[in-house]
Amino acid sequence: MTDNSSTEEMIRLLREISGKLDRILIQGSADKESDDGILDVLDVMTLLTLPDHLRTTATALFELGSATADELAEKTNKERAVESNYLNQLVRMGHVAKNRNGRKVYFSIGEGLGK
Amino acid sequence: MALTIAIHSYKGGSGKTSFAINLASAYASVGKSVCLLDVDLKAPSSFNYLLPESKHWVNDIFEGRYGVMDVVKDVSKEMGTKGAFYIGYSNPDILAVREVSSKDRKWQSKALKLLMAAKKDLSNAGIDVVILDTGAGVDFTSVNAIAVADHVISVGRPGVSRQRLMEQIIGGVYMPLDKDCYIIENMCHSDNPTDLSGKKFDLPVLASIPCMCDVAVRGDNEVLVLTEPYHIFSKKIYDIMESLDKITS
Repeated sequence: MTDNSSTEEMIRLLREISGKLDRILIQGSADKESDDGILDVLDVMTLLTLPDHLRTTATALFELGSATADELAEKTNKERAVESNYLNQLVRMGHVAKNRNGRKVYFSIGEGLGK
Repeated sequence: MALTIAIHSYKGGSGKTSFAINLASAYASVGKSVCLLDVDLKAPSSFNYLLPESKHWVNDIFEGRYGVMDVVKDVSKEMGTKGAFYIGYSNPDILAVREVSSKDRKWQSKALKLLMAAKKDLSNAGIDVVILDTGAGVDFTSVNAIAVADHVISVGRPGVSRQRLMEQIIGGVYMPLDKDCYIIENMCHSDNPTDLSGKKFDLPVLASIPCMCDVAVRGDNEVLVLTEPYHIFSKKIYDIMESLDKITS
């Protein structure tokens, strides 16, 4: 009788440990995903988590598609230098791509391929 | 630029789609060029099968397969409206709904860009008013549409518990996206508190529409603003249209 109940208790504990291991494995694979740069994708939910100033810049860039700091500053009614600073912050965060075309530098929403 | 309005609600069953169809029809009936898009890809409404069928789907816009003007169809003749009345449906086929539900964030980011581009295309095509019938609650399909719109109309059924939910969405979605938002209290009862605007934000309530059984029943078979423009419901919709005109002019 005592043997039986201790066996049952062991089985219950093993099942509990197995469940915990399953959760750790699931958690592990989620962490791996973020390492692959998927967190860099600028989707609308990420947009909502950005500080106000960066969100305004990023939203304007979504609307313009591709733009120079000058074009963006015109849309947001801010100084070019200010917008340039915000855009470069978004580039460092991996959300925005920066491309040079002759003398002009164009910014666009990144494809989420990493920094 | 076309006036772009997202019709949203914090929960389903608020009468959002019915409101969207009637508001779009009201604009078209007074001669405005209108485009009504069902952007609720996860729970397509097909506009309750009230409007004529179309060959293409709004899904094609989000996939980048077609431009918005290839997808929408002018139904002004069938509906008898003075202005052009373009409609675009989400694909109600379960395979399409399942496909949308499995899309990742990268796809959603691209979908937002394509929807922004669609808004520009509609403006360039001479559309005056774009109405986006969004999904309820907070997910990619609804928030993408809100991000694209200039104005958000939140349709809700009144009540204290709902007021709290409304405040969450106003503070957590509408405001951060810098949208002009308005509230429509729908299906109001005289014995219920009707203030949905919230103490915290105090948004303008454009109308309180009383709960009317015939609106629910007839709404499945007809567009009331077109079939009975002097119905209380229709009058409320026309009043809302006038208020929006004043606000946005």
